[in-house]
Amino acid sequence: MMRKKVVKSLCLMLILALTSSMLGGCRFGFASDPDDPDEEVKEEPIDTSVDTFEYDDSLEGTSITLLNSKAEIQVALEKMSVEFESRSGIHVEVMPVTDGDSPYTKVVSLYNSGNPPTMAILDTTDVIALAEEKAEDLSAEDWISEAEGYLTEVNGKVYSFPLCIEGRGIIYNKAAIEETLGETFDPKSVRTLGEFEEFLNRLVEAGMEKPLSLAKEDWSLGAHHLQFIYETYDGTSEGAQDVIEKIKAGKMDLASYDRLGEFVDAFDVLKEYNVAKGDPLGADYDEMAIDLADGKTAFWFNGNWAWPNLSEAGANNEDAYGFLPYFMNDDEDDFVNQKIQASPSKQVMIDGQMSSEKEKAAAKEFMNWIVYSEIGQQMLVKTCNIIPPFANNPYEPSDPLSRDIYEKIHADETFNASAIVPNDHWSILGAAMQKYLAGRSDRDELMDSIQQYWEEQK
Amino acid sequence: MKSKSNGKDFCIFALPGLFCFVAVVIIPFVYGVYLTLTDWDGVSSVKNFVGLANFVGVGKDSQFWMSLLLTFKYVVFVVVIVNVLAFAIAYLLTRGMKGQNFFRAGFFTPNLIGGIVLGYIWQFVFSRVFVNIGESTGWSLFEVSWLSDPTKAFAALVLVSVWQLSGYMILIYVAGFMGLNEDVMEAASIDGASGWRKMRSIVLPLMMSSVTICLFLTLSRAFMVYDVNLSLTAGAPYGTTEMAAMHVYEKAFTSRQFGLGQAEALILFVIVACISGLQVYLTKKKEVQA
Repeated sequence: MMRKKVVKSLCLMLILALTSSMLGGCRFGFASDPDDPDEEVKEEPIDTSVDTFEYDDSLEGTSITLLNSKAEIQVALEKMSVEFESRSGIHVEVMPVTDGDSPYTKVVSLYNSGNPPTMAILDTTDVIALAEEKAEDLSAEDWISEAEGYLTEVNGKVYSFPLCIEGRGIIYNKAAIEETLGETFDPKSVRTLGEFEEFLNRLVEAGMEKPLSLAKEDWSLGAHHLQFIYETYDGTSEGAQDVIEKIKAGKMDLASYDRLGEFVDAFDVLKEYNVAKGDPLGADYDEMAIDLADGKTAFWFNGNWAWPNLSEAGANNEDAYGFLPYFMNDDEDDFVNQKIQASPSKQVMIDGQMSSEKEKAAAKEFMNWIVYSEIGQQMLVKTCNIIPPFANNPYEPSDPLSRDIYEKIHADETFNASAIVPNDHWSILGAAMQKYLAGRSDRDELMDSIQQYWEEQK
Repeated sequence: MKSKSNGKDFCIFALPGLFCFVAVVIIPFVYGVYLTLTDWDGVSSVKNFVGLANFVGVGKDSQFWMSLLLTFKYVVFVVVIVNVLAFAIAYLLTRGMKGQNFFRAGFFTPNLIGGIVLGYIWQFVFSRVFVNIGESTGWSLFEVSWLSDPTKAFAALVLVSVWQLSGYMILIYVAGFMGLNEDVMEAASIDGASGWRKMRSIVLPLMMSSVTICLFLTLSRAFMVYDVNLSLTAGAPYGTTEMAAMHVYEKAFTSRQFGLGQAEALILFVIVACISGLQVYLTKKKEVQA
């Protein structure tokens, strides 16, 4: 009897120990994406002494919801909501999109259950898909004039509020480069793809075996890399739209499209110096951040959203990180070799279908508060760590990557183009890019997959 | 009088269950069938009737048939390995060996962990632990992450599913073995049957009811696999490990072709229903009473 009890309790203990150690296992943080909600963003104090914003008293007591698909600012948004409520009396409930759901799936299921969020933070493609049917027309809002160049129009109307500007390119770690080469590094000294390759060679000769990290994730390859072929057409969103229409209509032969050939050339260079060249599809996202912060590598293709990962890997706000352009050819006058891509990425849409007039007004007030109140402006930049698209916002982002993009925007060293592609572009062509990255398909097969994808879209 | 009380009993005991079943299974199913006849994108308020166009679309979607073929391959591996392994382990664990309760609990544990968490744990094992072992020992099998090679990634999926499902099946088989009538076994021994003969002619026929349940559970679970697929490989490398259920989800939500995705789901349902039904019918025929 006694023995049985002992065995039983041993079993129980074993089960507990096993499950807890396994559940604990997922805290190591593998398989993470850039939107990890656990990541801490260092925060600057907010000056709340001045607030000249005029609040609409009639909206007091209204309760609205905000669906947030930018997980790394979830906590910051909740803080903003508390601050906003204490001043306006409007309660903003911030709902996160949970892991495993795509923002679009989430918002669609909320609509289908008859309970849509008053506001939703979505990607531009999602906004365009939903705009005319579900969204409130915001064309008459005051902040339109402050966000010139960063608005998304659907048939001449604005349905969304640009929340942030994000940019991408080749991130460099200045200290790592200087330490390896033993000389100061001027990012402007690299001007073309040829020079970049030469520079990578110098790093290799100086002892940095594989100086560059390349993520294997399909969203990185299919969206962030491949979309350059549309966005660099002439560096504008309209141009990107043009070229996509042409490809779709079969009016453009991809094989003879210069930018595609140049893109593959550029990608070949990145592939060659990839730190995970032996097993490119086994590359780990978190490890790349650690490699760059530790100086094992000098470059990482990514965007300013990678800062939380870098900062977790040990990088500090005072360190020198910045972006090189995604070099595509040897013409130093070509804008792709001079500018980096930066455009508004996340947009806020107000539900125009099921929300009451009062709720809509409260949502609009929240947007105005972000743009016009001193506190909203500060919180957008300092609490959320966002690059604001609004011209009247005087605050500057503090992390090196966002600051670099911020400075480049003001120095006209960015191009604002974002391609609007079908929703499965990143996943289907991301797979084709993975195949190419792994060396299991050649240039022709990659181009064929792109061609075939567009043929199926007709 | 009798029929009246029957009616009341029916209302009290069956109606709530029936209502739930109709509400969450029958109605969505019928609605789903209706959706296969429309071009709905998942959100718009207009649903245009397109007839059987979606089914024609399924025929053209070569990726779907490839994922279906892969699913069949996966099902065969998982069902065979899980059942053979679980049967053997359950047999050993009912022989009265030392610490068998401990082992039963140990084997069952993986089943307590959800598929998503399990996938992430194993992702870590395959892409970090294995690679480290490979680096320090030089074994070429572990040199690169299993998840970056199509064949090995498939093997990884099978391995993890077997590891997860076996515990549950062991439990059912253990119950089956415990229920074997000792008299019959003893009679068989006296008649001179031993070892393999006893297993084939006495144990297996008596265990058929457990086999029916286990085969049905593994079949349907393996066909519908999604969570482990999503968290372990997510279709990687380059879409080669995308199973049917995942493909359906991607079609409906990522490609925003709800009607087409729903049509593919319906086809998957018909296949799974036919195969599971056939299996239950065949194995039930083999069941005997002691």
